[in-house]
Amino acid sequence: MRELLRKIRATGRVAEPAPERPDTAALDPATAAKARELAGSVQVRHVDAGSCNGCEVEIASAFGPVYDAERYGARLVASPRHADALVVTGPVTRNMRMALRRTYEAVPEPRVVVALGDCARNCGVFAGAYGVEGAVSDVVPVDVEIAGCPPPPEAIVAALRGLTGR
Amino acid sequence: MTAAAFAAALALGLLGALAGMAAPRRVRPFVAGSCTAASGGAGVVAGVAALTGHPWTAWLPHLLPLAGTRLAIDPLGGLFIAVTGAVGVCAGVYGIAYARPLGRAVQAVTPLFLAAMLLVPAAASVSTFLLAWELMAVASLLLVLAEHRHRASVREAGLWYAVMTQAGLVALLGGLVGFAAAAHGESFARLREAGHALSPGVRAAVFLAVFAGCASKAGIVPLHVWLPRAHPEAPAHVSALMSAAMVNLGVYGVVRVGFDLLGGGPVWWWLVVLAAGAASALYGILQAVVATGLKRLLAYSTCENMGLVLIGTGAAGLLAHAGAHTLAALALTAALLHVVNHAAFKTVLFLAAGSVVRAAGTGNLDALGGLRTRMPVTTVLFGVGALGASALPLGSGFVSEWLLLQGLIKAHGSGGTPMAVTMPLAVAVVALTAGLAVATFVKAFGVGFLARPRSDQAGSAAEVPDAMLLGGALAAACCVLLALVPAAVVPGVARAVRVLVPGPDAVTGAATLRLHGVASTLSPLWIAVALAVALAVLRLGVARRARRKARLWDCGMGPLSARMEYTATSFAEPLQRVFENVLAPETGVHVTPLAESSYLVERVTYRARVGDRIERRLYRPVIAAAARCGEGARRLANGSVHRYLGYGFCAFTGVLIVLAVTR
Repeated sequence: MRELLRKIRATGRVAEPAPERPDTAALDPATAAKARELAGSVQVRHVDAGSCNGCEVEIASAFGPVYDAERYGARLVASPRHADALVVTGPVTRNMRMALRRTYEAVPEPRVVVALGDCARNCGVFAGAYGVEGAVSDVVPVDVEIAGCPPPPEAIVAALRGLTGR
Repeated sequence: MTAAAFAAALALGLLGALAGMAAPRRVRPFVAGSCTAASGGAGVVAGVAALTGHPWTAWLPHLLPLAGTRLAIDPLGGLFIAVTGAVGVCAGVYGIAYARPLGRAVQAVTPLFLAAMLLVPAAASVSTFLLAWELMAVASLLLVLAEHRHRASVREAGLWYAVMTQAGLVALLGGLVGFAAAAHGESFARLREAGHALSPGVRAAVFLAVFAGCASKAGIVPLHVWLPRAHPEAPAHVSALMSAAMVNLGVYGVVRVGFDLLGGGPVWWWLVVLAAGAASALYGILQAVVATGLKRLLAYSTCENMGLVLIGTGAAGLLAHAGAHTLAALALTAALLHVVNHAAFKTVLFLAAGSVVRAAGTGNLDALGGLRTRMPVTTVLFGVGALGASALPLGSGFVSEWLLLQGLIKAHGSGGTPMAVTMPLAVAVVALTAGLAVATFVKAFGVGFLARPRSDQAGSAAEVPDAMLLGGALAAACCVLLALVPAAVVPGVARAVRVLVPGPDAVTGAATLRLHGVASTLSPLWIAVALAVALAVLRLGVARRARRKARLWDCGMGPLSARMEYTATSFAEPLQRVFENVLAPETGVHVTPLAESSYLVERVTYRARVGDRIERRLYRPVIAAAARCGEGARRLANGSVHRYLGYGFCAFTGVLIVLAVTR
């Protein structure tokens, strides 16, 4: 216990200072309307539809102490029933097509889908592979895209801040 | 009025017994059940008449062979007679359909059992009381043994019950007969006059003996061991009669002798009562929360509720001794109101559990589930009972437990150190018990009735006949009435309390109960109205939004199977872990490796069992010692006639020598 307290004291604050609020005009009007309805609090369910886990590492960083996406109102939750937004990584594989579809159905409205990483946007390096069904937008409607392979945590945080508006 | 109704109740009970023996097979359950219900109804009338100011006494010097029987129904006895009668009505109606496949003995003895229970609170002399008590014990024993041909476990349960109830009778007999001898008279009126004047040692011995006898009947820890054995094995309506009516008479014995006949006692008596009640409440609910058998769970819940009643009784005794009569009346009102509430919800719970066992063929919660769609009425009935038992608002147990807590919280200021120390502890015990009771009944209702069936038996269950539903529905209606309009029975309870603790009523009022002495009010009806309004507003607010039907969330991969559900065991596992030191569960993991390699596993077996620790630690050694004595005695009696004649000669000579020396 004392060890832990000492470590906390020695480490101090590691979160980076908050960058400028991103421009919400980047969102398309329908997504912006949904984001307004969420009123600054976005509960996020992450779905790995066939990713190489590179994006997962970056998501973990984005919600870690350094980038700390939670201070902007975004929060990872354990069930689509609790979620406002789905963050989908990886190209959609055949085995995950139905699961992704059902997860999307399970999210209460208004719901936002974020395609995270190049694979989710357009299958990336896996385009045309035998087990790949297609990009995320082929299975569920996508509202926000985050480019990069993998996208850096700053980009993930910026995209989520676009949804929370904070 | 009282006399006529009471005589009618006893006569109908006897008539029911005769009908159960002699009526043609086809109409036997109907006639016996109707007589039981009618007897119970007459009992309710007699009890209510006594409560509303028509007490009755009778001395029957010429009633052979029971010459000298004394009967009296005062408001206290009337309360218990009314409760017993009401339980009898529900059980009798239920038995019309339920007892059909059971033997002739059950149908004949059930009305007799009810009549004996009605007789106990009406007894006004030691011999009448003991006669009625023993009649009740023997009748209930016969009923517990009803299905002894079908299951060996019934015989074992019957043996445990017989030993515990007879040991209780011995204690009661010793106490009351000693009391009568010291008071030079056996009528309760004589005992009441002489009770104060006896020496403290005699009074204490009488009280402790009576308390032990009554505690064994009420299922108070550590004398509770028969309850979780007898209830699962007895027929359901008998369980209801025993658990909702018979155990109350244990409480009746304690308050009648402790408050009325002995006229109160020193602090340590009531501390004993309080401690026994607290131990019983905690241990009972801890065992209930981990129990997997539905009726076993209900049996332990009875231990818990009788413990709560004794906490109230003990606190009332302490307060009365300290001279705080209004607070004592409040605690006793709470205790007796809890007796009434417990009778109502335990009747409906046991009757619904009996319906489940009859329909699904098992009472094991781990094999039940999915009964909501298959047995909708039974599910609603059990739900009403479970709400009452979990002491939440809109449940009948809430009112009495709230009164009890109010009494205990306000009591610590009066009565010096013992009160200041024990009352906060008692409050903590009641609070912990109430919390665990919620977990227990969420488990019983959620696992037993909701979700999907966990076995084919539960999947093929169908709703039970109408008479069984009607019996349960009557009890459920009483539960709802007690929960929403407790003021309907509070004046009656207050009259019964006035017999024991003189002074003004502690609780008055109609829709809002006003507590005197602690300046507090409670209005369950308004709580219900407020909740209904809140629900309606919430519903309107939610309905504003468009609704969408979605698939049940199954992690996207489906389909969900019953194997994925919580079972009773898994639901209670966290609590079992928290209370591991008390419950001492026996768990074992056995891994069978493959023959080819010890690194590969063929099968993993997990076994978990929560036994009754008190039974194991307290009773097993006693039983082992008794068995050893029996073995020893067998060596004395080896079958040789010469030896027996020798024993007789030695004993006779010994007696002669003793007489010669002492004279």
